[in-house]
Amino acid sequence: MKSKTMEKSQNNIGVLEEHPLGVQPRFKVGDRVQLRDMPYFFYTRSQMWARGVVGTIAALTYSDLVPEDEAFNVDGRVEQYYIVRFRQKDVWADYPFEDDTIQTESPERWLEPIS
Amino acid sequence: MTDTPKYGSSGADQCHKAAPTVGEITDFEILEIAVRELAIERGLFTADDHRRFTEFAESIGPAGGSRLVAKIWTDPAFKARAMQDPVKACLEIGIDWSKPTGFGTPSDYTHLTILENTPTLHHVITCTLCSCYPRPLLGMSPEWYRTTNYRRRLPRWPRQVLAEFGLILPPEVEVRVEDSNQKCRFMVLPVRPEGTENWTEEQLAEIVTRDCMIGVALPRPGKTADVHPVHKARRPVHSSHQEEGAR
Repeated sequence: MKSKTMEKSQNNIGVLEEHPLGVQPRFKVGDRVQLRDMPYFFYTRSQMWARGVVGTIAALTYSDLVPEDEAFNVDGRVEQYYIVRFRQKDVWADYPFEDDTIQTESPERWLEPIS
Repeated sequence: MTDTPKYGSSGADQCHKAAPTVGEITDFEILEIAVRELAIERGLFTADDHRRFTEFAESIGPAGGSRLVAKIWTDPAFKARAMQDPVKACLEIGIDWSKPTGFGTPSDYTHLTILENTPTLHHVITCTLCSCYPRPLLGMSPEWYRTTNYRRRLPRWPRQVLAEFGLILPPEVEVRVEDSNQKCRFMVLPVRPEGTENWTEEQLAEIVTRDCMIGVALPRPGKTADVHPVHKARRPVHSSHQEEGAR
């Protein structure tokens, strides 16, 4: 068991950053979020269909490394993962059914709060 | 078939034949073989371990998932435990997500989430990234689940894809696509169908087919296998391997 409260680790572009030990989820179920459209190096699991779309946090799942770090064996920051729910009409403008939804899973840094 | 175009130089009665499928190997398959052989050479596991593990993974099948659903339908206390901690609940029906073989697991990740259907909400699962699938529970994924066709069309046209499986849902039922694109693995918990009152767990398990747990079918009494609609080709291409009588 580590007793310190802060730790340093490399982020996915190799920069050391300091952050609290353990995971403090930034979002709760029901929060409005937008999946960011960020660049990445060679590997990501943030799918293009969901980039830039505004949705709702449906569940908090687990905390883990982000794929962009893990893919390169970088011992980066462990962070909270969420299931995000979107209206199909917000993803595809001409989607014909009002109430249909689609969900994706995302680590915290890919989510932007929407007030 | 007299108007069939003829190919090749011979003037013989020779129809155009479909080229035989060539067994190709992808770069990733070559990579897998290379890594496996290195691991065996380094003594991380033996060739026999690998064979036993592969045979185990291929032998699992969806029966565990069927038992899980049947128990959830009949035992409310078990349902509460399963929705709270699905991986732990799996142990109660004899499925160990962590060390089923004693030396490994066929699951890359062990975050199982059960998606509960209701009369007005229907879940269906895909992995747009690759083909993530709850293997300890459902075994190897079906071939169609891994195709780019299914993976790219389901998020965009879910109702049309479901209709191709023979499942047509009314507009008032919300269709919810789950993209299994990170480390969660998903299983659909279908609604227990009418006409199954007083059935035993074993009877119920028989109608919970693999497709019901992916979300491309609904369970119903009497249906114990995944049968997909077969559409006859409207303009079939004939080749010489077909029987003469079929032309």
